Amino acid sequence: MRIIMTSAALAMCLGTVATAETFRWASTTDPQTMDPHAVSSAPVLGFLNNVYEGLVRRGRDMAIEPSLATSWEPIGDGEGWRFHLREGVTFHDGSAFDADDVLFSYERASSEESDVSSWFSPVSEVVVVDQYTVDILTSAPNPIFPDSIANWMMMDSGWAGDNGADRPARDAENHATRNANGTGAFMLAEREPGLRTVLEPFEGWWGEVEHNLTRAEFTPIENSATAVAALLSGDVDMINPVPIQDAARLASADGVDVIQGIEARVIMLGFGHEHETLQYTEDAGQPNPFQDVRVRQAVAHALNVPAILQTIMRGNAEEASQLVSPAMRGFSAANDMRPAYDPDAARALLAEAGYADGFSFGLRCPNDRYLNDEAVCQAVVSMLAQVGITAELDAMPVRNYWPELREDNFDMYLLGWSPGTFDAEHPIRFLVHTPGERLGTWNFGGYSNARIDEMLPMIQSEIDDDARQAMLDEAAQIIIDDQVYVPMYVQPLVWGTADSVSLTQRPDNFLILRWVTMN
Amino acid sequence: MLSFIIKRVAQSVLVLLVVGLIAFAMFRYVGDPLDAMVSIEASVEEVERVREQLGLDQPFFVQYVRFLQGAVQGDFGISYRQGEPVLDIILARLPATMELAAISGTFAISMGIVLGVFTAIRRDGFASSLIMSLSLVGVSLPTFLIGILLIYLFSVELDWLPSFGRGELTDIGLWETGLLTTSGLKALILPSITLGLYQMTLIMRLVRSEMLEVLRQDYVRFARARGLSDRAVNFRHALRNTLVPVITVTGLQLGAIIAFAIVTETVFQWPGVGLLFINAIQFVDIPVMAAYLMFIAVMFVAINLLVDILYVAVDPRLRNQETSV
Repeated sequence: MRIIMTSAALAMCLGTVATAETFRWASTTDPQTMDPHAVSSAPVLGFLNNVYEGLVRRGRDMAIEPSLATSWEPIGDGEGWRFHLREGVTFHDGSAFDADDVLFSYERASSEESDVSSWFSPVSEVVVVDQYTVDILTSAPNPIFPDSIANWMMMDSGWAGDNGADRPARDAENHATRNANGTGAFMLAEREPGLRTVLEPFEGWWGEVEHNLTRAEFTPIENSATAVAALLSGDVDMINPVPIQDAARLASADGVDVIQGIEARVIMLGFGHEHETLQYTEDAGQPNPFQDVRVRQAVAHALNVPAILQTIMRGNAEEASQLVSPAMRGFSAANDMRPAYDPDAARALLAEAGYADGFSFGLRCPNDRYLNDEAVCQAVVSMLAQVGITAELDAMPVRNYWPELREDNFDMYLLGWSPGTFDAEHPIRFLVHTPGERLGTWNFGGYSNARIDEMLPMIQSEIDDDARQAMLDEAAQIIIDDQVYVPMYVQPLVWGTADSVSLTQRPDNFLILRWVTMN
Repeated sequence: MLSFIIKRVAQSVLVLLVVGLIAFAMFRYVGDPLDAMVSIEASVEEVERVREQLGLDQPFFVQYVRFLQGAVQGDFGISYRQGEPVLDIILARLPATMELAAISGTFAISMGIVLGVFTAIRRDGFASSLIMSLSLVGVSLPTFLIGILLIYLFSVELDWLPSFGRGELTDIGLWETGLLTTSGLKALILPSITLGLYQMTLIMRLVRSEMLEVLRQDYVRFARARGLSDRAVNFRHALRNTLVPVITVTGLQLGAIIAFAIVTETVFQWPGVGLLFINAIQFVDIPVMAAYLMFIAVMFVAINLLVDILYVAVDPRLRNQETSV
């Protein structure tokens, strides 16, 4: 009897230790480095947001809120921004955080070796005013600068210097690749690249603790079927993403919850604006019909986006009217209507443009980049066929896809865009501005509009919110009138958790451990 | 004999060089590593600078010669993805693959021989018919599906075994082994079965047909006529004579087990070199891909070389042929 009781008590102890506060989660991609300035990718920045902190951070609703800076204000007439730093903050190794670390983190993150240096292209100088005040001067007024640095993470200058990690390592490793010393709520306890990364709460964190975790273990699981099985068998407490086709089944399974939201990523079709002729199918060499705006509008009217969302996304996504979703700053409420599904109007537009008999062309599509991307393209092909134009689909892995687009090997293509700054200016800068060295770098179709090019620097430097929004509305209007792209939908986010877990799903697809509780 | 070996070694080196050349010629079609390496916000100039730093602006044969120059000095370059020396990464991942291959190889050989003998002796029994039919399933179902089915049965439904990973590891100096902990051993069961099932059925069918052949031979009949026990006839006389071809096939399959662990490792998130290779392809991590392909090529070439040499040692006719030529 006693033995039974002891073992029962032991089992209960073990039970609590093993399940209550160790949070194990899995995702498809391992963060490839622990260096917050070496790689600008969502898996790295999302993971390191738990370990490192910036001057500002994003709240549950993506709004900017104070983090290592307690307040900030513009300097003079838009010469820059002054940040007042939080006092009494320490790094995980115990050293204090102050303005010198901000200056160091600026130099490190804006260096040639850094992958995040583009965030600092508006910055002319960083000046340490006193131990807890920093001025960040910009070459032109920059109203959204604080919004654009939520992922700029602070590193301790002393720690980096002592360990030879003064600069990020891009094609080699240094101390900061596998070790971390931030100010965040969690510190890095173990790091085995590709296998397991373990975080533990930082006792000396400055903020108010909301989580109840004692340990958090991350494992990359590439295969989504394996990840789903691991969640169902209780080997992990959370997986991201859940394959769309498994979402309904998981939601009805015992002990498991499915959390759905929408991401910041808008999925759209792009055209070869600059191509004089078509490149694919038997019509190759013929004049490019997509240079005619009526043909592009016909494509927009031919797509039955609600049907795509219903069948392929299983009702998990939302229609998109422009290049950003409504949750983004600068979204143009005045242009919140996507072209109606109207095959007759599409046929009429095609006839008017002189293509009553249709034509055929090549559609390029990735098959491993966005949720169900290839299936969406197949649906696009069949919907376009109904209005008489024949798309020949070529779907390929994303590692081959970008080089193909850069080589101009497309007539029409699929693209997803998530604005890193959560602002409507971002897609204008990269997708709509005339292609150049630094601007329009993802404008594969080569669309060019003098008014857009003229407005971009004005949008970037306009301090007055209303005037800025007026310009963003005008830009959105131009993009819609010219049908530069055909925005289709905002990509869904689908996470799976054990039902003992409660957490917050942020639209940038970051898992913030401070908001995770287990019971 | 010596000249034969030298000649074979020279041929092997040539094979390796050709494998490397083909690999490097193919890398251009795998995608552009820069897309995975630099931020989407990077300027054209930044991208080109990194490309130059990595030597990716050079033609493939220049890249290949550079790779060879490093490789002969034991330097396989730095992984684009992890920023660590490729050799360190592969050596860290190799034990996982080797342990998995060893266990599933043992499983395949032992179960294959036992079941092969059993189905040969009881060739018309219900049990052996059932085993033979099931083995057909084992050969025809893809590894991927078998793995997922096993996970759903033993991890999700029964909750006996872990669904992924290697469990707890023990550091024994040169490598970390999963063979010394309960969770490590439990984690080995499903992947080993998944990986070894095909080889097991192969060996089983081979042993069975060889046994059936041998059991018809005169010496077996005479042995029975002498009144020897079934056991002695079956195992001491019959089985022994079936093992020569089995050993040959098994040797060649060993390489296949290591090379084709890729699928099994992906399904079970088994942190071996196969999973590393899949990751490398997705990331267009050229140094890791090159080193892995060379490693697999070296392994196959070495096994073949060994087999060839063994043949010469075993079969005097081959030796005579060599001298006469």
